[in-house]
Amino acid sequence: MQIWWDGNLSKHLLKFNVNGMDHALAVDSHERLLDVLRDRLGLKGAKEGCSTGDCGICAVLMNGKLVNSCLIFAIQARNKKITTIEALGTAEKPHPLQRAFVKWNACQCGFCIPAMILASKNLLDQNPSPTDEEIKSAISGILCRCTGYQKIVDAVRTAASEMRK
Amino acid sequence: MYVPSDLTDLLEYLNMNQTGVDLIANGSDLINRIQRREVTAKVIVDLSGLSEFSYVRKEGKTIKIGALTTIADLTSSPVIDSRHSVFCEVAAKFGGPSIKNVATVGGNICAASSSEDLLPVLLVLDAMVRLRSKFGERLLRLDEFLKGKRLVDLKANEILVETMFQELDETSACAFEKVGMRNSLIIAFVSTAVYLRLDKKSGLVDDVRIAFNRVTGKIPERAKRSEEALHGKLLTMQLLEETTSALRRELRLSSDFRVSGEYRSEVAGVLFKRAVARCYANLVGRELV
Repeated sequence: MQIWWDGNLSKHLLKFNVNGMDHALAVDSHERLLDVLRDRLGLKGAKEGCSTGDCGICAVLMNGKLVNSCLIFAIQARNKKITTIEALGTAEKPHPLQRAFVKWNACQCGFCIPAMILASKNLLDQNPSPTDEEIKSAISGILCRCTGYQKIVDAVRTAASEMRK
Repeated sequence: MYVPSDLTDLLEYLNMNQTGVDLIANGSDLINRIQRREVTAKVIVDLSGLSEFSYVRKEGKTIKIGALTTIADLTSSPVIDSRHSVFCEVAAKFGGPSIKNVATVGGNICAASSSEDLLPVLLVLDAMVRLRSKFGERLLRLDEFLKGKRLVDLKANEILVETMFQELDETSACAFEKVGMRNSLIIAFVSTAVYLRLDKKSGLVDDVRIAFNRVTGKIPERAKRSEEALHGKLLTMQLLEETTSALRRELRLSSDFRVSGEYRSEVAGVLFKRAVARCYANLVGRELV
């Protein structure tokens, strides 16, 4: 979805780094970070849910902090480092979090999973042995309508112990 | 969108373009309002690059918070110690990490509505706001700055640069309470902040300030009549009950699509008692009886 904007659709030069790769793009004022990631760079991992900051499904890491990419204009990400789910693991060599999510069957429809995994990765980067409460707090703000969250918490706990080994 | 190269450029631009311009910090509130077509400005000026306004410092007995400090940065600052845990109480009910990482203190103040959780706390801390334009600075009390819903005393060529308040000491405490549909990431039905200072020798109430997210209108305000009822008294559970009844009469809480006015009024009293009792327990070291 594009934001309605009356006039002033001026272009900006956006230089930023996504998943380790530098990009320079001409973006419109009204384009959000989510629009640029999905429509310009083809990174479809971040999903659009509510577009109002309530569901957290569009979350990506910006300079190591979890942010909702639907609530940031693309130009505001200038000179920033963005990490999306595409930077974590591959089908052949998944990230420990991705393995744990599969093991616990923590993905059902999968729509919230990119954001869940990024939020969990952000937590485990700072806190390698979180409590269940800390895991719940880290994924708060990301809504999952399938799993009831328990399997996700189980998966993050498992991944944490895997990663500590 | 106008992206200023630095502060001088920003203030110059705002001075030259005084109509049809709105300011954006990190966007967690404004982008929603743009989508709802509530923003009529033709140009949005991006403040997010002004990293010099992201700080929490203590100067003497004053705590100064830069307008671009995010809620996450505020609560992780060493200046916000256990005595100032009221800000952590706000953060715990504010939203998920992805909101706390972008929502700014200045944005919360300038959004000026009953949904801004920081405002009651800053009101009871008697916070001041510093505004800057090309021609200099203005220092205002926060309650003077807040003029109405989504209305602040900010001239077209000014920006908010910081808020500041006196630090809490061993005789004063502050607490925050909020009830909404969920625990976090929700607009409050009712939220309140209480500041309590007890006289060191007598233990009587030396100063008390009470603010709610809505008192007479739809912006956070102080409940000054109820404050007066507590001044100079010895705090007991009975006095608190009496003040709560008076407080419910003072608050003119209305119904809306979120919740009824009666429910708001009932909950407001409970939250008020909880907040005062917690301040008391923090100061005296035992429960209020």
